[in-house]
This record gives sequence, C-alpha cells and structure tokens, in this order.
Amino acid sequence: MTEDVLCTFCGCLCDDLRVEVADGRVQKVRGACRLGASKIMGHDRIKTPMIREDGVLREATYDQACARAAQILLEAKRPVLYGWASTSCEADRKGILLAEEVGGVMDTTATVCHGPSILGIEEKGLAGATLGQVKNRADLIIFWGCNPAEAHPRHALRYSSNACGRFTPEGRSGRKVMVVDVRETRSAKNADKFLRLIPGTDYEVISAMRMILGGKADVVPETVAGLPKTQLVETVEIMKNARFGVIFFGLGMTHSRGRYKNVDNALSLVAELNAFTKFVVMAMRGHYNVAGIGQVMACASGYPMSVDYSRGAPYFNPGETTICDLLNRKEADAALVIAADPASNFPRSTVEALAEVPVIQIDPFENPTTLLADVVIPSAIAGVEAEGTAYRMDGMCLRLRKLVDSEFPSDEAILQRIIDNVRRLRA
Amino acid sequence: MKTIRLSLTTEETVPIEAERISPDQMAGLELDQIKCLEAWLGNRRITLDALFSIQVEGEAQGPESTTIVLEGDFSRVKRVGERMTAGSVIAKGNLGMHAGNNMIGGDIHIMGDAGDWLGREMRGGKIVVDGDAGNYVGAGYRGERCGMRGGDIVIAGSAGAFLGEHLCGGSIRVEGNCGDFPGAANQGGSIFIGGSTHLPGAEMVKGSIIVGGHAHMLPSFVRMEDVEMEGERFVKFSGDLVENGKGEILVAETV
Amino acid sequence: MIIRGGIVYDPANGIYGEEMDLFIEGGRIAEEAAGPELDASGLLVMPGGVDAHSHIAGTKVNTGRIMRPDDSRMGTEPRNPVCRPCTGYTVPNCYAIGYRYARMGYTTAFEAATPIINARHTHEELEEIPILDKGALTLFGSNWTVLECVRDKDLAKLAAYVAWGLRASRGYGVKIVNPGGGEAWGFGANVKGLYDTVPNFDVTPAEIIESLAKANEMLGLPHSIHLHFNNLGKPGNYTTAIETLDLLKGVQASRMRQVVHIAHMQFSAYGGTGWKDFESKGPAIADYFNRHSHATMDLGMVLFGPATTMTADGPLEYANSRLLHAKWANCDYELEDSSGVVPLVYGRKMPINAIQWAIGLELALMTKDPWKVIMTTDHPNGAPFVNYPEVIALLMSRPKREEEIATVHELVKSRTALPTLEREMDWTDIAVMTRAGPARILGLEDKGHLGKGADGDVAVYNLRPDEIDPSRDHALVKAALAKARYTIKGGTLVARDGEILSAPPGRTYWVDAGVAEADANRLMADLKDKFDRYYSIQISNYMVQDAYISHPNVIRAGLQVREGEDRSSHALAREA
Repeated sequence: MTEDVLCTFCGCLCDDLRVEVADGRVQKVRGACRLGASKIMGHDRIKTPMIREDGVLREATYDQACARAAQILLEAKRPVLYGWASTSCEADRKGILLAEEVGGVMDTTATVCHGPSILGIEEKGLAGATLGQVKNRADLIIFWGCNPAEAHPRHALRYSSNACGRFTPEGRSGRKVMVVDVRETRSAKNADKFLRLIPGTDYEVISAMRMILGGKADVVPETVAGLPKTQLVETVEIMKNARFGVIFFGLGMTHSRGRYKNVDNALSLVAELNAFTKFVVMAMRGHYNVAGIGQVMACASGYPMSVDYSRGAPYFNPGETTICDLLNRKEADAALVIAADPASNFPRSTVEALAEVPVIQIDPFENPTTLLADVVIPSAIAGVEAEGTAYRMDGMCLRLRKLVDSEFPSDEAILQRIIDNVRRLRA
Repeated sequence: MKTIRLSLTTEETVPIEAERISPDQMAGLELDQIKCLEAWLGNRRITLDALFSIQVEGEAQGPESTTIVLEGDFSRVKRVGERMTAGSVIAKGNLGMHAGNNMIGGDIHIMGDAGDWLGREMRGGKIVVDGDAGNYVGAGYRGERCGMRGGDIVIAGSAGAFLGEHLCGGSIRVEGNCGDFPGAANQGGSIFIGGSTHLPGAEMVKGSIIVGGHAHMLPSFVRMEDVEMEGERFVKFSGDLVENGKGEILVAETV
Repeated sequence: MIIRGGIVYDPANGIYGEEMDLFIEGGRIAEEAAGPELDASGLLVMPGGVDAHSHIAGTKVNTGRIMRPDDSRMGTEPRNPVCRPCTGYTVPNCYAIGYRYARMGYTTAFEAATPIINARHTHEELEEIPILDKGALTLFGSNWTVLECVRDKDLAKLAAYVAWGLRASRGYGVKIVNPGGGEAWGFGANVKGLYDTVPNFDVTPAEIIESLAKANEMLGLPHSIHLHFNNLGKPGNYTTAIETLDLLKGVQASRMRQVVHIAHMQFSAYGGTGWKDFESKGPAIADYFNRHSHATMDLGMVLFGPATTMTADGPLEYANSRLLHAKWANCDYELEDSSGVVPLVYGRKMPINAIQWAIGLELALMTKDPWKVIMTTDHPNGAPFVNYPEVIALLMSRPKREEEIATVHELVKSRTALPTLEREMDWTDIAVMTRAGPARILGLEDKGHLGKGADGDVAVYNLRPDEIDPSRDHALVKAALAKARYTIKGGTLVARDGEILSAPPGRTYWVDAGVAEADANRLMADLKDKFDRYYSIQISNYMVQDAYISHPNVIRAGLQVREGEDRSSHALAREA
C-alpha cells in the first residue's frame, strides 16, 4: 500500500490517497473520489507509437515517431503546442524549450477554462489564500458559477464547506455556504443560500454588490438583472459580517457573457470587502496541474499561457496567441497536443481546422484527438508511472509519486527525444 | 510625394508581421532597400519582397510626404503602421490586426475591414475604417493602465467588444453597433457609437460615451437629467460609481 | 584560468587596489593555475557580487509576473545560441535574472523570503535561474509552531522547529517578516507594535523576535535572524526600528557576526506622524548603527521609476494597494505567513518617493562602517536590481547627487540630511557593500573574497581605478558597472562586455542543523498533530525533496548529527 498518493484528476490535487499495488499494477485506490479513482486505475492504453500513412495510423517505433514529430514541427511556420495541464511541470518545461526551438506557440488548456480568470488577474491582481486557510478560518463560503459537488467532489470535505480546522471546529454547521449560479445544481441544493442569476448577468450583479458595499445602495435600481435589490443587500450584509469569507469561482463566471470582465469585477469586490473583513477568492481550476503549467510558463517566459515564440522572444496576447483563435483564423499549420483532448473540448469549427493540419499527439490514452492525429506517441501516466511536480488550484506545489513501473517513456523523456531530433535535423 | 504600392504575392494563411510597412520606415529608402526590409511569416524571418510585389513612385522628403498603398486583402498582415509618426497608409481592402499600434501621427485609411487591436495604445494621428473593426479598438496592452491616449479613430461600420478599454484620451467614433463593454475603465477619452451596445463605461472614471441606439446600462451609474443634442433626446448617466467615477454616458434608449 | 594585471579590491583580505594576478584552479582561487589568460591590465577587479536580499524566486515573484504582462513585455530579448529568451524589467523571467546579474559582475543572489509550505515552488524557480549561486531564506515570523513555542517559552523546541523548517524548505536562514502580523492578517488584522498581542496566540512580536534570535544562536546558524520590522513602510516607524534593535542588544552571537540583520532598512527609517509631515529618520538610524555593533542592514534603496513591491507583509501590501489604487495580489499560507504583491511607480516629483530615495543614500553614507551596510534595492521593491550601478554611482559622487537633488521634489532639502552629506565612497567601500560585507553577513565563507580556496567568482570592470575620478566620471562608473568586462563564475568565463558567453547551472545553499533527539521527538509529535488536524497537505508530501536541488551546497550547523540519523543530508553534504 502506498500512502499519501496525489490524485491526478482535478485541481484539488488531494494528496492523501492510498493505493494498492501488486504485480506491477494498481489494484485498488482508496480515499479518492470516484473520478480520481477511475483516473488512477486507468483504462485502455495506446499500445505503441503510430504514424499516419495514406490516411491510416500504422505502428511505428519511438525513434520513427519522435523523428516524424520533429520534422512536422520544423517544417511548420506557426506550430502550436497545446495541452500541458495533465502532465508534470518537468514535462511542461521541456515543452517550453521545444516551443522555443521550433518557434511555436505554447498554449494550455487554461485557454478554454480559466484563461479569462488570468486576464482578470492581470487587471486587478487576486486576493488569495491557500485552501488550508479556508479550512481553518472560513465561516462564509461562496461558490460562484461552479459545482464542486460534481466537478471537485472532495473539495467540500477536505478544504471548504465541511472541513474542520482550528477556528472552525464545528465544520459545516459553523459555516454559511452560498451558491451563485444560473441553475440549481447539486452544490446549490446543499447550500444555505442560493442566488439564481439570469445567464450572462454576473457583471452587473457584482457591480450592484460593489455599490451596496460602498454605501451607494440608494443609486442601485430596485431590481438588478431580475434580482430584487433587497436580496443583494442581504447578501452583501452576510459577506461583510463574515469573519473570513471566500469566493470560489468557476466556468459559470468565466465563460458566460462578460468573460474576464466578470472575474475582474469579482476580484475588485473581494479586494473592497477587505476594508470590512477578511475575504479571499480562488479559481476552481479543473485539471490537476493546470495551475502548474501556468506557473512554469510565467517563470520561463513571463506569461502564464498563450506564449508565441515565433520571433524568438516571448509574445503574449490572448485573443491572438490562443489556440482556438489561431485555429479559427487558420494561422496554425501544425499542432502538438499533449495530455489534452481538443477534439472533444473545442468548438466544432475549431476541431475542423485542427483536422486540417498535421497533429502530433502525446498521451497515455486514446481519445477523439487520436482520430485526427498524424503521429501518436504513447507515454507513461504522470503521477502513476512517472514522478514529477504539480500545483494545486491554490498554487501549492507538490510532488507526484511514481507508483508502478511503466514500459512507456514519460512525457518529459518523449519531449526530450523530439528536441534531440529537432536539433539533429536542424544541424 | 512618394507612393509605395504593395500587393501580396502569397496565399499563405500563416500570418505576416510587417511593422516595417510604415511611412517612417520606408520614406528614406530606395525600392531595393524597401524590398530587403524584414518581415515575419510565422516563425520565418524573410524580406518584404518575398511576400509582396512592391512599386515606388516619386520622392519624399520624409514620412510626411510618403503614402503607402496596400492593394488587395491584407487581413493576414499585422502591425502595419506601427509607431508611425506621419504620412499615410491606404489599405484598399481589409487590414490585419494591430494596424496603427502605438501610432503617433499620420493617417491610416482602411477601405475594407480592420482586424482586432486597431490603434492599440495610439497617441495621435487618425485611422478611418470604411468597413467594420474587430475587438479592442483603441485599447491597451494586457495589464496596462492606459490604452489609446490621443488621436482619432472613425469606423463607418460596426466594432467588436472592449472598444477603447482603458482609454486615456482621443476619440473613437463607430457609426454602427459595438460589442460589449465599450469604454471600460475610460479615463478621459470620448466614444461615439451610432448604433447599440451592452454595458458601456464599466469602471470609467472620466470621459464620455454617447450611444445613438440602445444600450443596457450598469446599475452603478446614476441617472441624470435628459439632454437634447442635434434634435435628439438622450438619457444622461454619470459614473461608474463603483470607482467613484465622473464619466458621462448619453444613451438614446436604455434596455 | 589566470586574470592578469588587474587592480584588485579584496577588502576581506586587506587588499585595497593592488595590481596583482589572480589564479583559478578547479573553480577556486589558487596560488597558481594553468589555462586561459584574461588580460585585466589596470582594470578594476573585485570578487563576484553577492546579493543578500533579493526577490528572485517563488510564488510572490511569479505572481508579480502573472499580474504584470505590462512589465514582462519590457526588456524582451530573443533567445540566442547561449541564452534562453528574456522578458521583464521589475519582474524578469528566471533566465533574465541569471544573465542580468552576471552581466553586472554578480555571481550570487539570495531569495529573501519563502514560506516552508511552498518552498518547493521557490526551488523549482531557483533551479531555472542560470549561472548564479543562490539560496532562500525561510519565513518563521508567524508560524503557529513558532508562536506556540514562544508562548510556552520552549526555546529548545523552537530551535528544533527552526532546524526542521530549514530542512523542510531547504532554506538557508531565518527570515522574520512583520512578526505575528502574518498570523493576524489571516483574519484581516495586524499587529501595531512590538508589544501588541498576536490574536489567538497570546504572544507579542517582541517575544517572537527575541526567541527566534536566541534559537538562531543556539543552532549556530551561519546567518543571523534576518528581520523585516513591524510597522514597515509607515510614517514614524523608526521608533519601532530602534526599539526592536535595542531588544536584541543582549543576545549573544554564536559566530563572528551580527545577531540581527535588518532587511531594507530604508523602509523603516521614517519620521512624521502621517504622510503630510513624513520625513527622514535616516540620520537617527545611522547614528544607532554607528553606536552599536550587533546589527547590520541592507539598504532597500528606492530609485525613481517602476517597481513591483512584494513581501510577506500582507497587511502592508493591502494598505499600499488602497493608497495607490493599484492591483493587489495576496496569498496567505495556512499555519505560516501571509504575502502580497503591488506594482507601483516611484516618482521623483512625489514628495514621499523623493524622501525615500534620499533616506537610502543617507543610511549608506552616514553609517561609518561599510561592513554594516549591504547595497540593495530590495529587488524589485525599491527598484529592479539592474539599477545597482546607479546606486553605486550616487554613493561615489556628490556631484551626481547634487544633479539628482536638483530634479527631485524640493522636500528632500528640508526633510532629509542628504544635501549636506559630503562623503564619497571609494572602491573599497563599494567592494565591501556589494561583496565582502554581504558574504560575511550571510556567513558564506567562500564568497565575497579572493583568498586562496575562495570560490572562483571574479568581476573585472572596464574602469581604471588609477586614472578615473568616480566623483567626476560617475557616468563612466555607472556604464562600466552595468556591463562587466569579464564575469567569471566558479572559474568559468560567463560574461564579457555584457554578452553572456556560457550559462552553467549554479549551486543552491541550504543549512542542515542538528538538534537533540528529545527535542526533535517532542516537536514531531506536535507537528504530526498539526498535519492531522490543520494542514491541507500531508506531512510526507511537505518536505522539499532532493530532486529539487540538483546542485546543493549544504552547510552544517547545530548539534553534530550522528552517523545514519539523516542519511539524505549526509549524502547531500558529500555531493556538495
């Protein structure tokens, strides 16, 4: 039994799993949620590297696949290297080096989830805290546009609503939990208070709350986006009177009308609440290491996503250097996809554009992106078959364990082989 | 007067970055020198003549007497007219992103549509677009406090979202509709929108926004007296009060 | 390698501008050597620069980058065959940090504050910084275990926790920031002075500081406690500074060094009752340092232009952001500390900024003994480190100061003593304040000097000390210091005239201090309970693993560790 194993599913990055290993295989996962256990147990693997010839994927060696990948990337004038959120920071760093060497655009899955949150942070900064601060201190927890009961199943028990800590010994009964969303999710049903928004009205509701907080309630109309002012006044009172409040926000805020401006406004609301009490805010990051690729990229390039190395120096301009924009405008002429599945997660027209360019896939598992890939390179599963580093949604940096040996090379090793091939071909 | 004509000779969909296409860069150069100016096709550093056929007529004393004419569809060509201080750029068709970035003076006339970030961080000069413009017209760079600080942008058609974000001066006129959040964090510029828009002036502290059509207003603006302008009646708002702002918004019709 | 004919300033070895040859063999200064020769005839030669207080790695630094794409786009340099690409000015990317220090002749820099719980992040970034040797100071000023040991007056257990915390964070020394304030900020409060009680813990900042100083000396750590005062950044805070310094007068140093190092003294040398009558108390502070020898300081010099403030003093950053209406990032760490980041611009016509600028210079010029003062800008709080040549030129030239004073807010003339100061530093003073002093203050025996066995870190500048008058030729001085003729790191030529020639990885220093087994056992029982009940991560995932320090240099301290008791640190020590 391996103790204190990190879960490589969601941004909670729970580090208290117990995993039973026998015969070189994971037999049982204890202490994880259903999603995490299933991720660690794994499923059908890509068995061998493959290269598409005459429309059909045919088995190849790692040497052949890495050489072909290097050739595609070198021939491309605007290759995009995408994914990175479900692998280790060590692999991510190799990816950045590869992007530098081939003059590519390095983009991450944040671009289709919390990318707008990053743009909001660029406007306002972010008043944050670690999840342990929430666990030990928070008496008011607000989930805005997120549904942890379904997407981050252990969040409530480990870190938030139901966690017990030094100043929160009563756990759930000592806390008020509020959900703000456009529909009554499972999280909303478990909450003490549910504020239902008309879709796309987050920004104006937050502006109204900032007005009320700033003592200007008299200017606010009697209803805001369908919500009676009295309800907003009551909500702001609850926030002001908390001892320690936190807003966790999700895609409901970042991907509804208003996008990064919603986040920007929420960050201001939280900053202003600190004039009255302690208040912090946190993005509910999805993939287990999507926070990590942001950290690694910021350290290496100055920017946390969407970095264009085509002219040798990092250039960052989401909307221009984001993968969906590159594909939609048919700028990208090759793609490397690692630990991601754009074919399932991108809009249809974007996937069609992706299908038109050579695609290299590095992944332990087959997914719909495999169907449009030209080179497929199977890898070891980070955090199960390979060690490495990952960052939790609150920025906590933790070390992934290796539980079993693997016949597959790690993402990091594969990327290094592609880099070696790029250097060889160029020389 | 010197006229430099460029037309694209490639059908590549990979974008071209060509900030050398600017009167300041080209005024003093002979045709052969212009042909050798650097441009980027994606990650390939190449020369302008690899992408464009180039003709030069006449002589110029400086950028003031230099006109660059772009023939055809330049929608994939970025950064034309970046940092230009004088002279003219005339795009007979569309022009790509970042046209007139950090522009200081002179004119850009785009007869077709303009891409995103038109006149980003512009300080002076004039940009006229006969067609539509993309997002972030006259806006700033990510994380900066200031976008456009001076000059004029006139768009005959419609414009995208985040027009004039962090506007610190100058004026933007859009005859048609405008996407969400025009004039966000406006600190002193003026915006006219002939058509309709959504949530103008978020966090504006100074400056003005006039909306000739209808707009959905934020709850953080205080409604003032109605005003009449050129025979039309406008509702006047002041805000954005979340920032204790004293900006002014005139809207023909609120929704 | 042989460096021929330079005019060498090596004050730690009593060498003050002598023409001599230097030899480097096996990465260290030797009496003779073979290999390539560098011609330094008549040029200024000093040991490689040592920055003892700079924010170069970790969550705060990266938060600064993430919230400031506007800064990252400044100073952009494309990659080349030797260098990775560079970005940023106040928050440069990790590669730029290494190259830019090396260009200036600096070869060592220490990150000034890292919480134990996220030290892994700090080391991930330190590993990516090329060329430099480095280390990180570990935060201890608000940790629950510290507060409880202090409350219980259990110094032995406190020392055990410090030793454990240094090992867990692979840290180099004890950093204390606004002691107690980090915990109070967990509920949005702060401590207002030395004798204000930390809420829920029944201890005062005075008790925390004094106890940590004693624990530091019980362990005989190479560096003293490294203190960021309470009330930092506030008008009138010089009284807190002096009160705190007095508190530590009686503590016995375990080594030949100070018992307390004061971080960025400039930010705590303020008079006035508010911003309206804000004035310098630099002279009073310098006077204190002249009369006492238990403390050292680094300047935390402010220069005009953009900066990004970042500190574990969370409440200070919140106040800054409200005052300046600026972006604000905050991160509070469970059971340990807080932190914040706020960008700002120092304006020469802004009265407060102009006075801050003058205070940094006053402190340096009025403290008689340069061994007590390290030249820093508290990068990037007062200014980015690339501006060190500007600070040095100001310290060496009164005419340059007069030129500057003529352009800054006139209150500098009435609220500071700067215009009256005549002192012009010489190259010995500068070599002390940028090399020998910081190395001695940090306890780095092989750094900051050029004696036999010292690290082969050498800077050669395009300046002829025998011909140049820094007072008059300050522009030349500034230009030459910005681009060393040669920077040699561990015997490798890494930079020439501002061009990076090679970028070998540097080493990371950390301190492994032994403690009595009984104290360690008592501590571990307590920590196990804290992890079970309060931390959000497991104790087994908490310690920084060896994988994060690829080139360690472990300094041993504390009790002799018995063979076999901690194999990993022995193994590391051998490797180093």
